[in-house]
Amino acid sequence: MTWFLRRLAVSFVLVWVVASVVFLAIHLVPGDPAELLLSQGGTMPDASVVADLREQLGLNKPLLVQYADYMRGLAHFDLGQSMQDDSPVSEEILRRLPRTLELIGAAGLMAVVLGIPLGTAAALGRGGVFDRIASGVASLALAVPVFVVGTLMVMLFAQTLHWVPAGGFVAFTQNPLQHLVLLAMPAGAIGIGLSAVMFRMTRAAVLDVMLRDYVRTARAKGVARPRILVRHVVRTALMPVITVLALYLGTLLGGTVLVEFVFNWPGLSGALVSAVNARDYPEVVGIVLVISVLFVGLNFAVDVIYGLLDPRVRR
Amino acid sequence: MMRRLPWGAIAGVGLIALLALVAPWLGLANPVAMDVPHRLAGPSGAHWLGQDEFGRDVFARLVWGARVSLTVAAAAAALACVAGTALGVTGGFLRGVVELLALRAIDVLLCFPPLLLALLVVTLLGPGAATLIPVLALVYLPGFTRVAYAGVLTARSQDYVEAMRVLGAGRTRIMLRTILPNIGGPVLVQVSLAMASAVVLESGLSFLGLGVVPPSPSWGLMIGAARATMTQAPLLLLWPCLALTLTILAMNALCDGLRDAVDPHPAYRPARWRLLDSLAPGLLPAERAVLDVRGLTVEIDTPSGPIHPVRDLSLQVFPGETLAVVGESGSGKSVTSLAITGLLPGAGRVTAGAAWLDGTDLLRLPEERKRRLRGGAMAMVFQDPGSSLNPVHRVGAQIEEAIRAHRKMSGGRAAAAAITLLRRVGIPDPARRARAYPHELSGGMRQRVMIAIAIANHPRLLIADEPTTALDVTIQAQVLDLLADLKRESGLALLFITHSLPVVAEIADRVAVMYAGEIVEMGPTAEVFAGPAHPYTAALLRSAPVEDGPPPVGIPGVVPPPTALPTGCIFAPRCDRRLAECDAAHPALRPAGHGRVTRCIRVPA
Repeated sequence: MTWFLRRLAVSFVLVWVVASVVFLAIHLVPGDPAELLLSQGGTMPDASVVADLREQLGLNKPLLVQYADYMRGLAHFDLGQSMQDDSPVSEEILRRLPRTLELIGAAGLMAVVLGIPLGTAAALGRGGVFDRIASGVASLALAVPVFVVGTLMVMLFAQTLHWVPAGGFVAFTQNPLQHLVLLAMPAGAIGIGLSAVMFRMTRAAVLDVMLRDYVRTARAKGVARPRILVRHVVRTALMPVITVLALYLGTLLGGTVLVEFVFNWPGLSGALVSAVNARDYPEVVGIVLVISVLFVGLNFAVDVIYGLLDPRVRR
Repeated sequence: MMRRLPWGAIAGVGLIALLALVAPWLGLANPVAMDVPHRLAGPSGAHWLGQDEFGRDVFARLVWGARVSLTVAAAAAALACVAGTALGVTGGFLRGVVELLALRAIDVLLCFPPLLLALLVVTLLGPGAATLIPVLALVYLPGFTRVAYAGVLTARSQDYVEAMRVLGAGRTRIMLRTILPNIGGPVLVQVSLAMASAVVLESGLSFLGLGVVPPSPSWGLMIGAARATMTQAPLLLLWPCLALTLTILAMNALCDGLRDAVDPHPAYRPARWRLLDSLAPGLLPAERAVLDVRGLTVEIDTPSGPIHPVRDLSLQVFPGETLAVVGESGSGKSVTSLAITGLLPGAGRVTAGAAWLDGTDLLRLPEERKRRLRGGAMAMVFQDPGSSLNPVHRVGAQIEEAIRAHRKMSGGRAAAAAITLLRRVGIPDPARRARAYPHELSGGMRQRVMIAIAIANHPRLLIADEPTTALDVTIQAQVLDLLADLKRESGLALLFITHSLPVVAEIADRVAVMYAGEIVEMGPTAEVFAGPAHPYTAALLRSAPVEDGPPPVGIPGVVPPPTALPTGCIFAPRCDRRLAECDAAHPALRPAGHGRVTRCIRVPA
């Protein structure tokens, strides 16, 4: 229990530090955000307009006061207003976040369903035909960047075969079937690479565990092979695999940018790219912060799950 | 250390790098010169791969794109390597506040997913190749810091670093001279990983328009631009996709190869079909023996060819008897027990001999029938109870599993039987201990659990492979007493493998002395110890400390490696009573009176 609480406390400290780093990054970088924002298009903005914007953004207050305001806002889940349309940043994030999470979830599911059984099978038949073919395919899948997979999928399935639309989004409540069709392409594009990662991890982990003394003990006990595989080999091998999956899903929180862009999926990372292009500081800060907090939360969850699976960690 | 370098991958990456390096002198078309009238033109003599949406030469842009990608990736990896390694080495070496700050800074950096971190920095600094390099360096910095820090942690505890410190070498010099060369391998792997990954990230950012700025050629930019015209000119999209994928494939192969070269695992060979299945069955088993092994020979594949760690080994164990197999490490004791039980690793197999358990030849049984004997009529206890129990299951469950592998029994009854077994092996409060995980028990307790597992199905034969070696002396005595008790009560036959002569003297009725893969002497323990009939047994006895006796004397020389065995008596090179005939022919086991056998030719038949 103390182990759990200590881990929780560390996570909260990390969140606070991350929030502070993001704040400092925006405010300590040379250049005036207000001036940068208004000087899009190469014209020198009018000084009074710049001053107005600085006033509006609170940029002329002392840094510490700005920091206090920022932290107070965060404590109330207030991430400020978007500079593009004055709407609250948190609303935009709440609308888009579930779509990105859905994408990641679907890709993760695909990776688990494909990667873990195939990886186990390849490890059991190590050096055999299936292992060689599957390992080769996995190497190729790892080498193709996700936006290349996505673009090629659009070219093949949408432009050439006309099976599916090239991208877009329909809410599940409006048209469940169309929603899933549109989800399948981007999720598949991410899922291919992720399945290859899962395949390799599972294969390596199973091979490692099969050589352990306790697997020999299980054989010496006369336990049947399928049961040894499930209870002793896969159960133990899955722990590092699940950790890696969770960490990969975490990096995907910011990494779906490319796929969302290719398939025109209106998720959170897509909003981040447009916010970066528009230099919409509050929105960039808000999104980066939310994703980082989710990332820290995910790492915390992995630790807790790990502790449940492996009793030795709970000390 | 750096064996088996991945030459194929090195050549592939080298070729791409060379092409990128000499791009300006290849006489290629100008990659940024536009030719709008010929936009989207197909391949021609002047433009091998055709022209893009502004009429620029696609082939030239591909080659120049490699130049841009690899420059950015190499610069970023180099920057991350220098900064990250420096941070890790100083953090690990100076300790204290510096260590804390370095590690915590890395933790914070790792709170941002890589692409997100890159996007945040691009927002602040604006897009362009000049921004990309520090951005990517920042992303890969933690990896280098961790590798370097881990290397320093290992190195700083080593004797020679301590020695240099004592000799008064400055910290900087110690760092440069001892630690940097040691972490070279892992850092090199990290460099290749960072470069491969930087190529991916750079192309992705360029694809989004946040990386390399047009009109500079970049694969990511080319793919992004070709998307608009993919229906008219699909090839325009395919070429950069292909170039990018092949480059990453080569770099990944290089990474994997380097990692294997730096951290080699033993070569794996799939299990070969056992020759023995086709051999004719040998002699019939001895009448009353529980275990009767005849002419057992084991072969194991190694990178330098097959070796025979056990040759022509015969032994019998009778009901209620303890036979100790004693010998130095590498003498083939454990391989013998694994061969009998059918638990040899994949690279090993039995090539000759028979092993009867109550009249059933174990070596010729199909795996399923062997499985039913293992843990049933034939049980095993291994050396290290710490690693032999599964860390993620409760010990009670692991005992129940052994029971239910052989008998149909409800979960509740099996749990009760497990508790009874724990009580039987002398574990106090067995109901509570059954719910414990292995790491919550002491070494002695764990070995008692292993014994409980072994006796769960009333075995006829118990093979104990160095069961007390990992335990301290008092616990060792308790475990030996427990085994003796069990043997007396149930009349099981005990095959006890050990390298410890005092343990043999305490527990064994008969003893078999093994040397370099064969039995050199076997007979009743008391008589063998009182008057050894083989010089090796005598030397072994002299090398063991005896209370109030003469000081122990070591055996000169070393055990011959299994790849270079002497043709005559294998102990002859180390023997102090060697004769000329000893080298002439390999001696067979000969009777030496009172049920004893020896391989020494000096003993009168």
